[in-house]
Amino acid sequence: MLTLPELGLYFSFLMFLVGLAGVMFRKNILFMMLSVEILLNAANLAFVSASRLTNTMDGQVVMFFVMAVAACEAAVGLALIISLYRTKASIEVDDLKALRG
Amino acid sequence: MNLVMLSFIVMGVAAVLLSGVMITRRWPVSAAMVLISVMTLLAGMFGLLDAHFAAVSQIIVYAGAIMVVFVFVIMLLNLPPEELRYGGVTVGEMILSAAGVAVALVLGTKVGQGYLSVGIEELGILKSENSLALHRPLFGPDQNVKNVAATMFVEYLWAFELISFLIIAAMIGSVVIAKKRSAENANAA
Amino acid sequence: MDASTSAVVQFLNNNIGLVAGIGKIAIALVIALQVAPIMVWVERRQAAFIQRRIGPNRVGIFGFKLFGLGQPLADTIKLLFKEDFVPKHVNKFFYILAPIIPAVMGLVAIQGIPLGKEIVVAGHTIGLQPVNLNAGFLFLFAMSALGVYGVALAGWSSNNKYALLGGLRASAQMISYELAMGLALLPMVFIYGTLDLQTMIAAQSETFGILPKWGIFLSPVSFVIFVVTMFAETNRLPFDLAEGEAELVAGFLVEYGSMRWSLFFLGEYAMMFTLSALTTCVFLGGYEIPWLPHAELVALLTPVFTAEPATWVAALIGLGVLIAKVAIFMFLFVQVRFTLPRFRYDQLMRVGWVYMLPVALGNLVLMAVIVALLRLT
Repeated sequence: MLTLPELGLYFSFLMFLVGLAGVMFRKNILFMMLSVEILLNAANLAFVSASRLTNTMDGQVVMFFVMAVAACEAAVGLALIISLYRTKASIEVDDLKALRG
Repeated sequence: MNLVMLSFIVMGVAAVLLSGVMITRRWPVSAAMVLISVMTLLAGMFGLLDAHFAAVSQIIVYAGAIMVVFVFVIMLLNLPPEELRYGGVTVGEMILSAAGVAVALVLGTKVGQGYLSVGIEELGILKSENSLALHRPLFGPDQNVKNVAATMFVEYLWAFELISFLIIAAMIGSVVIAKKRSAENANAA
Repeated sequence: MDASTSAVVQFLNNNIGLVAGIGKIAIALVIALQVAPIMVWVERRQAAFIQRRIGPNRVGIFGFKLFGLGQPLADTIKLLFKEDFVPKHVNKFFYILAPIIPAVMGLVAIQGIPLGKEIVVAGHTIGLQPVNLNAGFLFLFAMSALGVYGVALAGWSSNNKYALLGGLRASAQMISYELAMGLALLPMVFIYGTLDLQTMIAAQSETFGILPKWGIFLSPVSFVIFVVTMFAETNRLPFDLAEGEAELVAGFLVEYGSMRWSLFFLGEYAMMFTLSALTTCVFLGGYEIPWLPHAELVALLTPVFTAEPATWVAALIGLGVLIAKVAIFMFLFVQVRFTLPRFRYDQLMRVGWVYMLPVALGNLVLMAVIVALLRLT
């Protein structure tokens, strides 16, 4: 019988897979960023579960840092999306081929 | 199988399924809303894991701030629904990612579980000379906020300060990126 | 008969926590649901007095008019029996979901408010805070943060330019003012050294000199910032740019009617009540009568009633005091609504980021230094 935090680790693994699939298959930057949020959330779940499993607080502190990094990522990423949409009128990754010549 | 375990499993399954739903949405707003419900479910799971502060900050920071920015941008751009196209991923990429998943699985189940079940005491971290580490607070449902703070502001103080620099940099960066276009347009006009 | 009653008593004894929990949540729900109808009447009457009109004073029940207190009942019946109309061009799922979110969040958030200290029933001590997480009042913040999605979704799903603008404005405004709101409360957290509202209220029952040791006297700047941001968080005038009748017709409410429309108001008033109650608990001593701590009140009442009923009476008095203190803020909400004009949107953003945030930060640093110096000595 699995304990609660072990179950949490498995759920976080499954969520990470789903998020990874989202990043790989979607071609819209907005959806890719939303999928990255799923990845970060899955990592958070793993951190909190590990914190409970090892009976220490480190996991929860690191989870807080992950959240701060996610906030930065969202701020910069969304600013980039707005900027891109203004110049290209599209946020599909396939339309962003300027560097390929 | 007690009530806590049961609700944890229900929430976990729902969170995984809803993230699957999220990545197949056509409307960005629907996807954002589904993601918010995933985050709320995760907050509930954190609560069941006795991490009350993590649960509350998950809702305040993630669902209440980061996702509001997402929704704001989605509404600002007012994007049309996107056609789903599952092309564009080659067989090689599929194989590589499958290999990555396999590696992650092995690491997660064998090495990670081994490390985690050994516990931090047996790895000798607690026996180090560091006097701060001797007073490191342990996990407990009571005083959760206090314990998080005691760990964050003693052991992880430098990480905390560096994160604050990162946030300031991101803030300035996003303002610069989002503003630049309109300034250039104004010059051109 | 005897066996069945003893079985019931035994069940209650064994599950006192569960029964008490459900009871507390039910009481808080009843309070939250009563706020909207009563406040609608108060708002209309007060507006009428400010504008030298009479306001609704006709509706009565069986000839008892009571200054028109039957008006909310009539309004509710009217709203319930109106046609439930869903426009054709909306995104149906989110259109129906949107009004539910603020209403639910308002009703859930109120569960974090301590309605009284504790009562003793048959030897069991029951705390009177429906939900008491370790993270304390952050629970309220979390729920009020989720409430904004109702407005944003309503704006987006209505498929209407005015509504979309309203939703956009609301989400930007919420984020801006939530920051200052959190920073205003932080000094109180480290002054009291806790996030738990019950402990905060207990700390405020002390006095220094003739003043009660209320948060408003310990950190007045925090109080002012918190009250201002409270108006912004609940989308009330002068911060109700999401509605803005003059420029956006009615903003996110444009496409809504009948019961769905009133659900938004249910949520708004419940959130007003909850945030006012939070202010009361953090800055004005919560359910405590000034200069009379709860323990002394119980000691005063014990000779009159017996030991256990005394705690019940004390809890009732405490609830009355809490509601009286909240009523002051509700009065303020209405008074401000009909006194101040609405901000322009750039003014709103400037007030939030250029005045509120730096003042809150400065206050935070100042209070931190003072508290640290006091702890050293």
